[in-house]
Amino acid sequence: MARRKFAALKRFLDYIGLEGDRTIFTWISASEGERFANVIKGVTAKVRALGPASKLVNKL
Amino acid sequence: MENIDKKLREEAKRLLEEKKVGVLVGYETGTLPLTATPCFITNPEDAEKLVWNAFCTQNLAKFVHDLISQHRESQKRVKPEDRKKKIVGVVARGCTTRSIVLHLQERQYGRDEVVIIGVPCTGYVDGKRLSVLAGGDDIREGSLEGDQLLVKTTAGEKRIPLQDALAGNCLTCRFNNPVLSDLMIGAQAPPMKPEQEYTEIEAFENLPTAERWAYFTKEMNKCIRCYACRQACPSCYCNTCFVEQSQPQWVGLGEDATDTQVFQLMRLFHMVGRCVDCGSCVSVCPMGVDLRKFLKKIDKDVFELFENRAGSSLEDTPPLSIFKEHDKEDFIFNP
Repeated sequence: MARRKFAALKRFLDYIGLEGDRTIFTWISASEGERFANVIKGVTAKVRALGPASKLVNKL
Repeated sequence: MENIDKKLREEAKRLLEEKKVGVLVGYETGTLPLTATPCFITNPEDAEKLVWNAFCTQNLAKFVHDLISQHRESQKRVKPEDRKKKIVGVVARGCTTRSIVLHLQERQYGRDEVVIIGVPCTGYVDGKRLSVLAGGDDIREGSLEGDQLLVKTTAGEKRIPLQDALAGNCLTCRFNNPVLSDLMIGAQAPPMKPEQEYTEIEAFENLPTAERWAYFTKEMNKCIRCYACRQACPSCYCNTCFVEQSQPQWVGLGEDATDTQVFQLMRLFHMVGRCVDCGSCVSVCPMGVDLRKFLKKIDKDVFELFENRAGSSLEDTPPLSIFKEHDKEDFIFNP
């Protein structure tokens, strides 16, 4: 069910014009420490390439 | 249409007299020309007020839910053995029956608490479109003659083809005949153009990201957060909406553009597998926000991903409460 919700959310955010790479979803078990580190490295690399977010940001 | 009105009144009167329904939700002629408004009938004599025509806009499933849930709330103070059921009758077109199916799927009320009088539908007039076609002046008088609308404004008289004034969701409607009914009035309506239902969405999908974002922000900037869309939507029936929750506060209440975008985004996303494309939100929006552009995309995605059309069959399970082993998972990030 999480997978279904995410599939719909990712498509929808992409549709309204948010960069698709900003919504990232994956499965990690609590015991997979190394995999967790790798995923986060991948995520930060993707987000760095996109630069700071300017959409849907609440300016306080 | 005359014939349908007559039969509808007869059936409604009979249901009320035989006490098959406690209250009947239908449409009566509106106070402004070329409009119809929802009405609630408890007295069999009042069934004469009922009409069914191209000006019946709102999805009445909203009122069915409201009436039943309010009644249930009031029964909480009654001894269990003295509790009574309230049976609501409703004049329902295709999209209204889909909403009722959705409520039944979501266990909002029982099938025995609602009596559905199915009516065929050939689309309703979009008030905003009609006022543009009439030249933007106030409509003083109007009548429907065959497939032409005769409209009298301050500037003069005009003839408008009914087809031009129909709402966008009606033109490409797939379910213009009831999907579920206890009794049907009138013959099956001819099909609309469901093969074109996603044409507009596909065109929008192919635009560059920046243009899509520009369109989204432009539309959402019109929004004044009156929540009329939520009030009119039969799928929006939560007791406390997330926008009114203060612990935690999901979305700010100020005039910040981002808050408005987030409100709309969240409401739209709550419609995954639940939007029946009745167009009620669009028709009540005082600012003319193009909500359908986004709602229809959700409908398209749900059909493509989960092969489900909201409320189309009583046997379906809501798509977000089940899963299949072979659901698409190409979006999962795997470095």
